Amino acid sequence: MPPPPPPSDTRAAAHRLSTDPDTVERDLVKLVLTVVELLRQLMERQALHRVDNNDLTEDQEERIGLTLMLLHDRMQELCAHHDLRLEDLNLDLGPLGTLLPPAD
Amino acid sequence: MTDTDIKTAIDADIDLDAEINAEIDNDAKSDLDAEMSNDVKTDVDQTAKTDIVYAYAVLRRTPEAARAVANLRGVAGEPIRLLEFGDDAPDGTPDPDDTPERRPPALAAVVGPVPAADFDEASLKAGLEDLGWLEATARAHHAVVAALTGRGIAVLPLRLVTVYRDEDRVRQTLEARRDDFLPLLDRVTGHVELGVKIYAAPDTESSDPEPTKAKGLGVGRAYLAGRRRRKRSTEDAWQAATDTAARLRELAGTLAVDHVAFHPQRGELAGSVPGPNVSNDAYLVPEDRVEDFRTRVLAAAEGLPGVHVEVTGPWAPYSFSLPAEPVS
Repeated sequence: MPPPPPPSDTRAAAHRLSTDPDTVERDLVKLVLTVVELLRQLMERQALHRVDNNDLTEDQEERIGLTLMLLHDRMQELCAHHDLRLEDLNLDLGPLGTLLPPAD
Repeated sequence: MTDTDIKTAIDADIDLDAEINAEIDNDAKSDLDAEMSNDVKTDVDQTAKTDIVYAYAVLRRTPEAARAVANLRGVAGEPIRLLEFGDDAPDGTPDPDDTPERRPPALAAVVGPVPAADFDEASLKAGLEDLGWLEATARAHHAVVAALTGRGIAVLPLRLVTVYRDEDRVRQTLEARRDDFLPLLDRVTGHVELGVKIYAAPDTESSDPEPTKAKGLGVGRAYLAGRRRRKRSTEDAWQAATDTAARLRELAGTLAVDHVAFHPQRGELAGSVPGPNVSNDAYLVPEDRVEDFRTRVLAAAEGLPGVHVEVTGPWAPYSFSLPAEPVS
């Protein structure tokens, strides 16, 4: 097994939202995008759940799927624009784990 | 010592927010608060220059232990010594009816003086959030403990940054908790700690086909179908890993004398890992069965898809030096 990369001093606490004057805009963007991503994932889960239960017509499925896909693409664009990765969008809730599940 | 070792040592020794803070709350905070209110509050300089006592481990008072600590240096580069507590210790009160046969074995604490300014509540709060500081302190703490266990001396390692206002406080703790410490020392004698971590390692080869390849579906429905497949495969991998973890835990339990389950690691402390951590356990294993334990646990995990198992150690019994507490 390869050894893990050496620890560096630049590592701060995981996903800490630090509000320095220099980084406040980027951090705010990150927080907002995190909340949006949380909502998107919740909608996606709800959609999958309803598809599994055959609650939706094919037409509705198509529209929801397309919407979610476009939202996902748009999120990636926004992240790229602000020099973030989708995996960066998370909050460490301490003993509760992270707000969002690990990126898949 | 590799970084993996240290990482594990940090993991085994502490749970960042809960345990250390609890320890600080129990020991340092009350002591420091007391100090602040007893002393003249404005005399900050004097407080800053004072040394407080950092305690590394509790052990039986033996000449060998005294020799082992003789040239050790601690977390602040300070010389390490044995703080003795027992019947003929400097401030021990001898019982007139006491005879050598009836005396319980004497305890000692491995301690070193550290600057109060670096280990007061505020500094510790800052330090514990600084992984660099934490790592350096954990290495130094571990080096002291390892120097003792390396000589086959049974120790109860104390948690990282266990600090006391003065040596009397340490003696009071040794006295008050003697009935806890002695059975624990008996239990860890001749035993070492091994860590077993199990990760879910999703099978990357069965990655999704392109969603658009699905036949007869519009783009939106194909996307949903792809998401569902991915979600299921993640869930399956997690399920497989937790099942394996339960089986391995059962096997390891039969080879060890005790077992502690920690919360699985997340975030940066987990480092670069093959997948999410499913279980993170410590086992107390007899010294002569370490290789047997390692071989059998790894053999049981071999060839199982979707999981990755790590056995680390042997460690000083970091996870077994306090009375057992239920896993919350």
